[in-house]
Amino acid sequence: MGFAHFWLSGFDQIRTGFWAYFAVGLENGSLYAMIAVGYTLVYGVLGLINFAHGEVFMCGGFAAVFLTHGILGDSIANGWESVFLILAGIAIAGSVSALVATGVEQIAYRPLRRRNAPKLAYLISAIGASYFLQTLAGKEFGYGQNVFPAQVFPAGQTMFFIGKTPIHTIQVVCLVVGVIMFIAADRIVRSTKLGRGIRAVAQDSETSALMGVNIDRTITLTFIIGGSLAGAAGFLYALQNGIVQSSGTELGIYAFTAAVLGGIGNLRGAALGGLLIGLFGSFSVPFAFEGNISWTEIYTFIILVLVLIVRPTGILGEKSGRTA
Amino acid sequence: MNLLTRSSLKRLLAVLLMSALVTLMTGAPGGFGVPAYTGLHGSFLERVSYFGLFATQRWFLFLTLGVIAWLLSTYYQRHSLTIRRRLEPALAAPTRVMQRRTNRWVLIAVVVVVTLVLPKFVHQQFWMYLIVEQIGVWILLALGLNVVVGFAGLLDLGFAAFYAIGAYATAWFTGVLPTPAPFNHPIPTLWCIPIGVGLAMVFGIILGIPTLRLRGDYLAIVTLGFALIIDDFVGTQSGLTGGGEGSLTVPKFAVNAGPFHYTWGISPTPYYYLCFLFVVIFLVAFTALEYSRVGRAWVAIREDEVAAESIGINPLKYKVMAFSVGAASGGFGGVLTAGLIGNINPTLFQYQVSVNVLILVIFGGMGSIWGVAIGAIIVQFVTSYLDNYQPWGYQLNDLYMYIGALLIIMMIFRPAGILPSRRRQREIRGYEEDYEGHLDEVLTGDEL
Amino acid sequence: MNDGDLLINVENVTLRFGGVVSLRDVSLAMRRGEILAVIGPNGAGKTSLFNSITGVYQPQEGTITFASNRAPLLSVIGKKTHRIAQAGVSRTFQASRLFSALTVFENVKIGAEDHGGIGLAGSLVKGPRTRKGERASDRVAAELLNFVDLYHEANTIASQLSYGARRRLEIARALATGPEVILLDEPAAGTNPSEKLELTSLIRRVRDERGVSVLLIEHDMKLVMALAERIYVLNFGSIIAEGTPEEIRVNPAVIDAYLGTATEETSA
Repeated sequence: MGFAHFWLSGFDQIRTGFWAYFAVGLENGSLYAMIAVGYTLVYGVLGLINFAHGEVFMCGGFAAVFLTHGILGDSIANGWESVFLILAGIAIAGSVSALVATGVEQIAYRPLRRRNAPKLAYLISAIGASYFLQTLAGKEFGYGQNVFPAQVFPAGQTMFFIGKTPIHTIQVVCLVVGVIMFIAADRIVRSTKLGRGIRAVAQDSETSALMGVNIDRTITLTFIIGGSLAGAAGFLYALQNGIVQSSGTELGIYAFTAAVLGGIGNLRGAALGGLLIGLFGSFSVPFAFEGNISWTEIYTFIILVLVLIVRPTGILGEKSGRTA
Repeated sequence: MNLLTRSSLKRLLAVLLMSALVTLMTGAPGGFGVPAYTGLHGSFLERVSYFGLFATQRWFLFLTLGVIAWLLSTYYQRHSLTIRRRLEPALAAPTRVMQRRTNRWVLIAVVVVVTLVLPKFVHQQFWMYLIVEQIGVWILLALGLNVVVGFAGLLDLGFAAFYAIGAYATAWFTGVLPTPAPFNHPIPTLWCIPIGVGLAMVFGIILGIPTLRLRGDYLAIVTLGFALIIDDFVGTQSGLTGGGEGSLTVPKFAVNAGPFHYTWGISPTPYYYLCFLFVVIFLVAFTALEYSRVGRAWVAIREDEVAAESIGINPLKYKVMAFSVGAASGGFGGVLTAGLIGNINPTLFQYQVSVNVLILVIFGGMGSIWGVAIGAIIVQFVTSYLDNYQPWGYQLNDLYMYIGALLIIMMIFRPAGILPSRRRQREIRGYEEDYEGHLDEVLTGDEL
Repeated sequence: MNDGDLLINVENVTLRFGGVVSLRDVSLAMRRGEILAVIGPNGAGKTSLFNSITGVYQPQEGTITFASNRAPLLSVIGKKTHRIAQAGVSRTFQASRLFSALTVFENVKIGAEDHGGIGLAGSLVKGPRTRKGERASDRVAAELLNFVDLYHEANTIASQLSYGARRRLEIARALATGPEVILLDEPAAGTNPSEKLELTSLIRRVRDERGVSVLLIEHDMKLVMALAERIYVLNFGSIIAEGTPEEIRVNPAVIDAYLGTATEETSA
């Protein structure tokens, strides 16, 4: 295929299937945003990238698989049953992920915090935690074995149409859940005492401690918030794509890029970044050489590197504020 | 001894959690055609018998072990000062012993002699092969990553890329890839050594210049992303790289210089000596670097990049240099592997490889050349043993679970490694004690 | 002022961070061979000025030139810090930034080494040129340690030094690059009176015996009045006064800026 032809045909594909790409983009974007919240909050209070956050997401997915299989078995739910199951799935997945996130914090990060360990130590510990969780999940659930939750609503069910494009239930659910959970997280961070504590610690942990903020508790709660959202995302992701032990790493890069793009440390930036990366990823599919899906990864990665080099504070970050 | 205090009970919870984790880690695997929870099930409920005397379900065994561990930990808490005082000499012994110069030379002599005569005692080809492939090559990789992580303090999660380049370059230049060799002229494998090393170094420079401006954690993520993408890419580009099956067999090393003809054959022993030779070369080279102006500049950058800049050190230049120098060792490891194994395929260069090299460096001691070499031998030896004998419920992939746990444990208990370089130990201790809220990349003075 | 004498010329420099103006149309002229002080209340912009001169910050407006003996007139803005350092501008930091895990000797030696080229080959194979270089930097380090009276501590780990000794070590390291001007950021901060006296005489000797011009930021007025030949006063990012110590002492704008806080520090 000639070079120009390649690009033109790509744009053509987008033109004809615009709403489809857009819907997928929003769906993925919601998931990325939910995961990105965890990265950005933890970066805000601890100044470090939680490498293990992807695995937190993955654990939520697996938990949801169990729960749904336990309740539904092989049957397919419908109507109000579906709504209930979705809520239950989110709740369980979120809780399990929150637990895992807290566990990682207490085991891999807290001892280092007690000792004022250098940054490098946290990073290495995070990598260790990530690897441990990933491999453990692989061992327990089968390496490379993609598992799906029970059908909490008929798979591939279409909710409505935009023109000729079917919009699937899962896409709507992802967006709705994403928006709701994000608003909740945003409320918590902006209006509650805990949220103020998080922002205080993010700005200046020493002074916050002097002002009576319980640093340990604040950090734990930060991990819980981030973990819950990631877990919910895990459940939703698993509904459509299934979950496997490497899902965390796969989505982690996307979500992390989203967090950085939107402005690391900035909660709303995580949402913005998530949606942008989701849309970008979706619209870049027609431009994958030889249909090789790796190209979306590559394009996203290029964005990450560009952002880090050109504008490390991201879109919503201040010019000279906390930077990448 | 009050066992019911709050902290004591918290510790019980923690210990039981650890115990549960270990149960899972050492238990039966799940998946692969069976319901997703069999692993969990088996790990806890499987009946294990001991010495034919009694049988119990695993959960009970681990619960008991957990409680015992908790009691021991309570005891330790009480008497920690005295226990630590008595352990301190033992823990510091390796470094202390190595400090005396005569001891060092004796150790070196012993190592050299043992290494030279080892092949006489190893009769099975299989073990010899293992020693080269599993230990020798990894020593080279660890030495290389040590320059990047240990000397320059850069967390590179994609070190396997340099290894890959060395191997694939060899495959390419010897004409065994689907893509024909440059100028359609395959060359003898031995020439690929300087080529592989050179290409790896160049690649280190090219990759380093844009990315090494980034701060530590961002560098880590970027190298990680890069590693994952390369991993993906190489596996799928069949036309270019032979894709999943990899290349055809790389011809063995051969020296054809005038009257002197020798071909490395099937036996791994000649590879052993070749590997040993280059390990020595890199050891000497890297030690020389450590105690040179470049080595000192690396220390300065690691300690305080801002201060280093203020005395005329260009951090980017030295970081790129570290990347490139480390890449040399990785690249050679790749060439050696290509000559030894023959078939180069992407599984050799997955992200796991980079993490594996990282644990070798962390375990041995970041920045300590000898520590890293010895650490590599120990870890790889244990790894090979586990892979070949598979005790308890061990599966091949479980290794990375243990590596992950070991990374965390090392960071908590002994971040400087088992045989740390004195400087590094001082650095880490100094950072922790000296902590006054270290100023970061933006100088604040009394203003913004 | 004779232009040929100008060492550092800061002209109409404005430095902004987001919405905050850190330096506002600041001009400062430093002559070769003088001891110049910059004073002002906290937050006035003094360290920002230093950071601008050493390339850490890039002012949006104005120019900064450095008349080096080694090279043609160097325009500082836009250059990297290490380049400026190599050109002959050295500095110390408000909070001591020593290489804590290294010895006192190594700290200074690193400063004395030439970090210009690549030097990889030389470092791998220690040829005669490398060894000559090593001996030279060893000599410079030894001489400087003698100069700041730390020779007896040469093998001590830097983190174990007393506070005053650390300050002197930082000055020694900054001098090791062979600079023409040294920027001292609050060299006496946190020192006790006897250490302050030592520092005062040391700083004077830096100029008198080594011919290195000195630009310093200080809060301790006694020290400033004793050392400085000329003083610039910064407040809220602008220069509000410039002159000799006697002139500054009675300048109403200066007194006003300090607003009743003691204009003379009596003790640490």
